[in-house]
Amino acid sequence: MLVEKVKNNKPVCSTASLSNYFPEDHPDENKWADCVHCGMCLESCPTYLETGQEQHSPRGRVHLIKSVAEGKIELNEEFMDPVFQCLDCRACTTACPADVDVGGLIEEARGQVRQAMPLTGVKGAVSKFFLQGLFPHKNRLNTVSGLLKFYQKSGLQKAVRKTGATRVMPSHLAEMESIMPMVKTSVQRKFKDVDVIPAKGEVKARVAILTGCIMDVMFSDINQSTINVLTHNGNEVALPKNQTCCGALHVHAGDRDTGKKLAKQNIKAFEDTNKVVVNAAGCGCALKEYPELFKDDPGWRERAESFSAKVEDISKYLYDSGYEKPKSELNKKITYHDACHLAHGQGVRHEPRQLINDIPGVEYIEQSNADTCCGSAGIYNITNPKMAGSVLERKMEHVPHDVEMISMGNPGCMLQMALGVQKYGRKAEIVHTVQLLDWAYQKDQDHGNLGKEKIVSAGER
Amino acid sequence: MELKELMNEIRVPNKAFGHNGVTVLTPTSESELSMVLRSAQEEGKKISVMGRGTKQGYGGGMEEYDYLLSLAKYKGIVEHTVGDMTVTLKPGTTIAELQNYLKEHNQMAAIDPAWPDDSTIGGVIAANESGPKRLMYGSARDLVIGLRVVYPDGSVIRTGGKVVKNVAGYDMNKLFIGSMGTLGVISEITLKLRPVPKYESLIILSATEDLLGKLRAFAVQLQDSMLEPASLELLNPTLSYKLLNKHAYSLLISFEDVENSVQYQENWVEEHKPDSTEITQLSLQEAKGFWAQFAANAPNSLQEMCDDAEIEGVLKLGSKNLDVFELIEESRRIQEKYDMKVEAHGGAGHGVSHIILKGSETSMKQAIPHIRNFAEQKSGHAAIKHLPFNLRSEVNVWGEPPSYFFLFKGIKAKVDPHNTLNYKRFIGGI
Amino acid sequence: MFSLNKKKKLSGDRYIDQLANIVGTDDILFKKADLLSYDCDGFAIEKALPKAVVFPKNTEEVAALVKYCSEHQIPFLARGAGTGLSGGAIPLNEEVIISLVKMKKLLSVDYENRQAVVQPGFVNLKLTNSISDKGYYYAPDPSSQYVCTIGGNVAENAGGAHCLKYGVTTNHILGLEVVLPNGEVIEISENGIPDTPGYDLLGLLTGSEGTLGIVTKITVRILKNPQGKQTVLAYFDDVEDGSHAVSDIVSAGIVPAALEMMDKIAIEGVEAGAFPVGHPKDIEALLLIEVDGITAGIEEQIEEILQVCHVRNVREVKVAQSEEERGAWWANRKTGFGAMGAISPDYLVQDGVIPRSTLPGVLSNIAKISKEYGLRIANIFHAGDGNLHPLILFDSRVPGETEKALKAGSACLKACADVGGSITGEHGVGIEKKEEMRFIFSDEELEAQTRIREVFNPENLLNQGKLFPTPSRCMDVKKIVKDTVAH
Repeated sequence: MLVEKVKNNKPVCSTASLSNYFPEDHPDENKWADCVHCGMCLESCPTYLETGQEQHSPRGRVHLIKSVAEGKIELNEEFMDPVFQCLDCRACTTACPADVDVGGLIEEARGQVRQAMPLTGVKGAVSKFFLQGLFPHKNRLNTVSGLLKFYQKSGLQKAVRKTGATRVMPSHLAEMESIMPMVKTSVQRKFKDVDVIPAKGEVKARVAILTGCIMDVMFSDINQSTINVLTHNGNEVALPKNQTCCGALHVHAGDRDTGKKLAKQNIKAFEDTNKVVVNAAGCGCALKEYPELFKDDPGWRERAESFSAKVEDISKYLYDSGYEKPKSELNKKITYHDACHLAHGQGVRHEPRQLINDIPGVEYIEQSNADTCCGSAGIYNITNPKMAGSVLERKMEHVPHDVEMISMGNPGCMLQMALGVQKYGRKAEIVHTVQLLDWAYQKDQDHGNLGKEKIVSAGER
Repeated sequence: MELKELMNEIRVPNKAFGHNGVTVLTPTSESELSMVLRSAQEEGKKISVMGRGTKQGYGGGMEEYDYLLSLAKYKGIVEHTVGDMTVTLKPGTTIAELQNYLKEHNQMAAIDPAWPDDSTIGGVIAANESGPKRLMYGSARDLVIGLRVVYPDGSVIRTGGKVVKNVAGYDMNKLFIGSMGTLGVISEITLKLRPVPKYESLIILSATEDLLGKLRAFAVQLQDSMLEPASLELLNPTLSYKLLNKHAYSLLISFEDVENSVQYQENWVEEHKPDSTEITQLSLQEAKGFWAQFAANAPNSLQEMCDDAEIEGVLKLGSKNLDVFELIEESRRIQEKYDMKVEAHGGAGHGVSHIILKGSETSMKQAIPHIRNFAEQKSGHAAIKHLPFNLRSEVNVWGEPPSYFFLFKGIKAKVDPHNTLNYKRFIGGI
Repeated sequence: MFSLNKKKKLSGDRYIDQLANIVGTDDILFKKADLLSYDCDGFAIEKALPKAVVFPKNTEEVAALVKYCSEHQIPFLARGAGTGLSGGAIPLNEEVIISLVKMKKLLSVDYENRQAVVQPGFVNLKLTNSISDKGYYYAPDPSSQYVCTIGGNVAENAGGAHCLKYGVTTNHILGLEVVLPNGEVIEISENGIPDTPGYDLLGLLTGSEGTLGIVTKITVRILKNPQGKQTVLAYFDDVEDGSHAVSDIVSAGIVPAALEMMDKIAIEGVEAGAFPVGHPKDIEALLLIEVDGITAGIEEQIEEILQVCHVRNVREVKVAQSEEERGAWWANRKTGFGAMGAISPDYLVQDGVIPRSTLPGVLSNIAKISKEYGLRIANIFHAGDGNLHPLILFDSRVPGETEKALKAGSACLKACADVGGSITGEHGVGIEKKEEMRFIFSDEELEAQTRIREVFNPENLLNQGKLFPTPSRCMDVKKIVKDTVAH
């Protein structure tokens, strides 16, 4: 019986001779045991909606993962396809009446697939370049950032676009190139000699922020906005220097070893802080799920649990700790897109909407199916361009035509939605929710409404 | 037991409508019924099945069968569980008997077919009869939850059950509802009931002939509002004149609910009624009287025929809900073109219309195909519900069978392989 | 990297290659890992692999597939979203599964005549969502309506929480296009015209569990939204008080749109699931009652319901104060089955129907069954129409427990049949309740039904082995032999 096996502390599947999994870190039987195959997840799953085929649905994947453990199929390509086709958007987690952790199972299964079939050839090289060679290394990222900056600033980008060099690139990469944001100096570099950025006015709390890997290179202005808004609301902001990439992409790709390594580094880097504020939903979700990585490692599991309890998305943190309502108007029609890893992954839906609605002058328009995936899903849009494109097309059908801004809380989504806006000829600007607040505060400052307004605290709502 | 023993005196319908029997049998129990059918099948005899005989003019059929099986004497309530709101009864019970019995318990069977005093529940179900309030309550198929059916081989088959929701096996109830008695003889019926509405009212909106379009627009508006009418029945001017003394198209709008709700809906109609239409509000008693008169209006086969020159016929039409307006309007052209008296009514919310024709034999023979063509052009259908037998044998009673008629034939062959029951009565001569 | 579009190698199996020719190579599955997802539906106790799964995109493809299977004597069956709870879509005979999920268009809506035409793969709730801006909705609302298809609803004659007032699927089907088991396409009550002369094939096909034909187009009735709606939640310390309250409400002449009941274990489940609403854990029963209709008339009905509840010793009763609150109560109820996953590794849901008045007796019999088999049983109940869902909680990893659960489930159905009820109110017979058909039908009655099947599905290639108890099939065989000898 399962309970006894656990008590004896023997891994379940190592005793079940039928299982085709490796004994280490295999998908957790308790997770699939919750699935009763009711099918309520089907319509929430972007890949099922696209294909209509159940092996590309949450319950189908869970069924397959279970089937490997039961020895019905092997860790082979037939298994790999459905497991890697998953966007990891977690919409099924929201839809599931029994709270089955499909996302966790998928990641565990991907780890198993990668053990059985290490990536080789070009795919392996590309994957290795991004995941192991680049994201975890601040310096290398900064170099890339410098190159990108040069590419953009020097006019080379314009030149390349003019010559039509992008036309010879694979179309999805060309599309990505065209929406690349302007690269500015990363906040880690900017504040490299500062330990704690002081709060403006009375100090309420001290928080640390995760600056992220890609985020701080491509979206450093969002990191800056995050710092501005936090300090504006009485928070001292620490930027722990030893922090690294959250590892989400590695775990999604089945590279759980690197994921664990990065997790350990982050857990240590943030050990001294009480709050870890994150402005990238995907990263926030990954940090909150560190304990899952160490399910077979009790010591680290405990450290991971106390770490993940400190992690909070920026919108939720502001909402819970209180923030000043800006006075100046931002006269824009704005809609909000739920990043999967915010809405489904962290259950944060209301808070960012409230933030937007608290800005005077905003005409907020709720979009239908706001919480369906845009197709970004980490680097899914690079690895599975066709599926990502179809998912994006569906997403754009729900974005109201007349909005001027689409706000969201995840950099990956921002790139993908920017692609959507460009591809489908929309006018909307893609913004991070925290930027809206930052801009409104800046207007306040320009108008001299500096910090006189009452701070809305959580208790008053 | 000899078949003769089952012969009893009953009110014999007008023989001119056919479906007669050399011998009349009136069983009073299911086992008698079973025995009759079994021996008839064994002997290769043909049986015509009847309740009290209001529908002898309905369907193709033959002039004479070996037996006329009357269920008029097989009647009564078998079981009524008040708290479950279900009733089980025998087929010969008339609609009026059933409703009067249920009224004491503040319940009703939500069906309002013609001639409640003479129509038996078995006949209503076998012919799938319904009235204007079908809009709110549905038809027999929405009401019947269980049947006992005696098959031609004498076996008794239960279909459905005594519970209001049931998907065990095929929904065999549906097979017998509206099957015109061609498959088996219904020996027991279980219905689901509804509470008698706490309040009801009838509003009549009348419009002169040129304003029919306004009435139609109003029916659309009303249905697109959130009102919940029990009926939305359109009468042609001839029928309206006969029943209401108004020479105009009249829309019968009835409401059944708690008093506040009914009043709210009455006010709505009052406020939204189109210009130049006339509104008449009947009191509760008046409304009851009106509905009784309405239900008794059409001719039936228990009645004597009118004088020899004039023949009466009734057609049942099915169409899209709002095509009812055009079908009813067409009655005027028929009236003029064939020099007939034409009474017509149809449900703007349920798509079933009735046209009552009165005129010469020649007119009748011309009017029927005219009406059918008109209905079929609107993708609807028309069937003859009442006409003397001699004329029925000269016109197409049911219209052309559908492409899947072989399924009907197949079903008939499986259930009644020797064509014992109501032979030739239904569509395509099954 | 892992694009779906990679060139598929064909199987080398002659039949599969032919089927692929009909639908295209992207729309057929035949590899084991792909087929595994189709080895069961919402009834996960029995499993079998199909020969292949095909995804036709239109009626012509369905007809061609059926014709091919029929000509080559290949068993086949139709599947929608696969949420059925009785195993109706499980390929016990290595069937070719014809999945209709790619036929998922809303073909037309005719508001004036109150009808809509959909393809079978169209999801139930999407219909309401597509017409709600005009104030219309589609009434049948099975709990799986977020995902289940209308084609599947037709096959199972699906019910739902609101069928007490509005009826089940069969009351809302106006027309069907059907591919018969020989591949012939027929159209019944085209344009949704009522009372088409002839036997009521609409009624017969609805609820025939995919054994008579494959529905490829459906005309349904749509309704205007009720003007007002109020929802009441009542907590009882005694199950019997709760059941009496149900009878009293109905006897008072109120026809609620929905009247739902959950017992203590069910409440434990939904509160542990994904949509808890904070029901007290120590109550014995709760009622969820919804009244809809003309706003002016609702208030007094709610008053009457509250009174009834007080007379029946309700502990607490409240009226939903907002659409959010109402929505939360319903989400809690509608995900009730799946939520059992949160308190038990497996569950078996049963679907008995009983006359309302026998509820207290049947509930105590179910409690006895629970004791006898040593398995917890939660009860979720469409109380208004007597449709009881005992959820038998078990752990399939414990040897013998699955069998025990099945036996307990069967015993629950027997308890329902014994009081004049039925073995299924909305989930269908499928393979799960085949044997239990004997609780309510005699051999002769079962044969009367299989004879009808023979008219439509003479070779029994379509979804065979469903709906009827096995020995009855022997009877079929005997009959066939007899018939053959006779001719």
